[in-house]
Amino acid sequence: MGVLRDWIRRSRWLTVVCALFTSAITAAEASEFVERVPRVLVLYPYDERVAATTVAGEAVRARLLEATGGKIDLFSEFLDLARFPEVHHVDHMAQFLAEKYSNRQPDIVIALGEQSAKFIATHRTLLAKNARIIVAGFNRTTALRINLPDDVLGVFTEFDILKTAQMAQHLQPDAHHLFIIGGSSDFDRWWLDTARAGLASFAKNYKTTYLENLTIAEFAAAAAAFPPDSIVLVLTIFKDRSGRNFIPRDAVKQIAADATAPIYGPYATYIDSGIVGGNVVTFESLGSKVADLSLDVLGGKPVDHVDAPHVDMVDARQLERWGLSEKRLPPGTVQMFRQPTFLEQYWISALVTLAIVATQSIAIAVLLVERRRRRLAEKQSRSRLLEVIHLNQSATAGALSASIAHELNQPLGAIRSNAEAASSLLRSSHPDLKLIEQILIDIQDDDQRAHDIILRMRGLLKKRAEIDWQRFDLNELTTISIKILQGEASRRGISVTSNPADGALPIRADKVHIQQVILNIAMNAMDAMHSRRGMQRKLMLETRLTKDSKAELSISDSGHGIPENLLSVIFDPFYTTKVAGTGLGLSIARTIVHTYGGEICAANRCEGGAVFRVKLPLAEKG
Amino acid sequence: MYSTVHIVDDDRSFRIAVGRLLSVSGFNIQLYASGQELLAHLPLATEIGCILLDLDMPGLNGLELQETLAEQAPNFPIVFLTGHGDIRASVQAIKAGADDFLEKPVKREALLPAIGRALLRAKTSRDERERINSARSRLDALSPREFEVLRFLVHGKLNKQIAYALGLSERTIKAHRHNIMEKFGVRSLAEIVSVVERLGLVNAVDDPPAS
Repeated sequence: MGVLRDWIRRSRWLTVVCALFTSAITAAEASEFVERVPRVLVLYPYDERVAATTVAGEAVRARLLEATGGKIDLFSEFLDLARFPEVHHVDHMAQFLAEKYSNRQPDIVIALGEQSAKFIATHRTLLAKNARIIVAGFNRTTALRINLPDDVLGVFTEFDILKTAQMAQHLQPDAHHLFIIGGSSDFDRWWLDTARAGLASFAKNYKTTYLENLTIAEFAAAAAAFPPDSIVLVLTIFKDRSGRNFIPRDAVKQIAADATAPIYGPYATYIDSGIVGGNVVTFESLGSKVADLSLDVLGGKPVDHVDAPHVDMVDARQLERWGLSEKRLPPGTVQMFRQPTFLEQYWISALVTLAIVATQSIAIAVLLVERRRRRLAEKQSRSRLLEVIHLNQSATAGALSASIAHELNQPLGAIRSNAEAASSLLRSSHPDLKLIEQILIDIQDDDQRAHDIILRMRGLLKKRAEIDWQRFDLNELTTISIKILQGEASRRGISVTSNPADGALPIRADKVHIQQVILNIAMNAMDAMHSRRGMQRKLMLETRLTKDSKAELSISDSGHGIPENLLSVIFDPFYTTKVAGTGLGLSIARTIVHTYGGEICAANRCEGGAVFRVKLPLAEKG
Repeated sequence: MYSTVHIVDDDRSFRIAVGRLLSVSGFNIQLYASGQELLAHLPLATEIGCILLDLDMPGLNGLELQETLAEQAPNFPIVFLTGHGDIRASVQAIKAGADDFLEKPVKREALLPAIGRALLRAKTSRDERERINSARSRLDALSPREFEVLRFLVHGKLNKQIAYALGLSERTIKAHRHNIMEKFGVRSLAEIVSVVERLGLVNAVDDPPAS
């Protein structure tokens, strides 16, 4: 970025005054272009390491190659005039180049920078007698100063301080003060004069101060005391009042360091020295402009001097420093050192991260929804199961109702007979009071018995909206179930025996459900003994603690057993061998047992009949 | 001779209560917890009694017990008691000779007459049986010749005809006929025919010889 400065500085030290050339290009010479590939020689004032000219030269080359589709011969010469300014050497170099290009006379010579322009102006007859010369990289004033021949075409870089001032005005619409800084060298003074003229009307809107004839320290001190609502324009400071020489951007850097208001300047090189920005020329745009002019020359179009395009350029860091809004920038402003926002810088990572997070969120959401639906489905399925169990309970109650009624008739019948006997006794002359008392006790017992039967009946029909988890003894439940079954068994002439385990068998489940399992299996067993004769109808309920610490209930019958090929299907829903069966009893029994983490299986006994075994996990202690 | 009611019911409380009621009403009672228990302690055939039988019992149920009792104790009328009116069972029981079929809980007004009827039938049938037995023993007391003469007599043959058929004299027949009336303790031929018919022995003597 310091290249422009180099041009300016070096031009100051070179004192070679070039001769005026008046070489006209004839139409005949111009027509030569069309017969072969045009030749363009680019002259660089320094070596190939100096970025300013190299960038501009590369822009020229790129544009020319692009526009001609590669049908162009491009030559480059790095004159290195700043380091080797000796006239003797320069003349030798001119001789050498003249020889080098004697057979390849260029059609156009492009001279980048003031020194190149002077060199070609001096040596054009030797080097490229017939070539059109285009110079670039300085302003018209310089062109006049170095006395360029009239036919030399220039791409001039005119620095219009007003445009820079206007940019400042855009950014600081509320500013009241205007400061213009300039150094003490001739060039600086020329700049100050130019600025005075250019800003004459602009300055009327502000309280304007020109800071000139100051030392660098005085400049810095003044800068540190600018009112905050100031626009500061810095031109060039090649020399301060004390006669100290500066590279302008270094001087600008010192002044900007402690400034209390934003500073603007007309050079791209000032960017990164602490100024906000300005209306400047870039080397890329300069190069393109030179190339366009060359193409016009090659195309035989009418040509004239042109100005290099200016762009508004700012240092984004400075915008931030002064709190200036980038929205106020003139359209098309180039922002240098703009810290890309997080998204701009890491957009791929951000996008990927966002995508991953989004995907995860979606996945989580889906899983949550899924889980909710599963819970709902589980709940529904459980409530279905409870419904089905209840239907099964009702069916069992229906099947048992006759025997339950009968069973109820036992205590009722006993109560009636006892009461009648008692009333007869009371009518006798010497009532046996002891017997009457016993009768009354028996009546109470039978009443209790009837009450118990009704309770069991109610328990049998108990409907569940949710599983009622209880801890209970499987032995006790077996006893209750036998009582429920007793009536039916007795009606069918079946003897029911039980063989409970010694200790308690605590399990955790819904009592009503496990009771339903027992009833289903037992009813099934009783049906299986239908064809057997009296003494042979035996139902046996046995409980025990298995070796793997589970509570096991076996229900065996003396029926005809289960055909081996059906053992695997008897638990399937709707499988039934009975005319009036639904085929749901055993299926529901299995579902219930599985719900409570148990197992159920059926087998045939060696002594005849079948046995159903239900294994349930023991409840944990407490 | 007392009339005994044999109560068979697996429900202890019930059988005791019914037992009390019948006992208070003047019956002898015997209680049994099951059909097997009754079979193990069968009353003597000479006793007058009836069986009050619960239809639904584990082990031998009422109907099965009825079958067995028909062979082993045919002289005891059975009154069934059941917790639920099962038409099929009641028809089967009545067909198999049950005296009555009652439903639990049974009222005294229904139970006592039923028991009374059963016992009366038991008594009647025992009297009948005794009469038949005595008639049969009288029949057994006849000599073979007298039995032969009886066969002709119940078929209305005249002395002359019998004498001719047996190749005996009319007087001899007259003497046999006298002996027969003597042994039967009757005074007319009509009475002898009636006894023989009541015993169901008409067939036994109904072998009219070729005349």
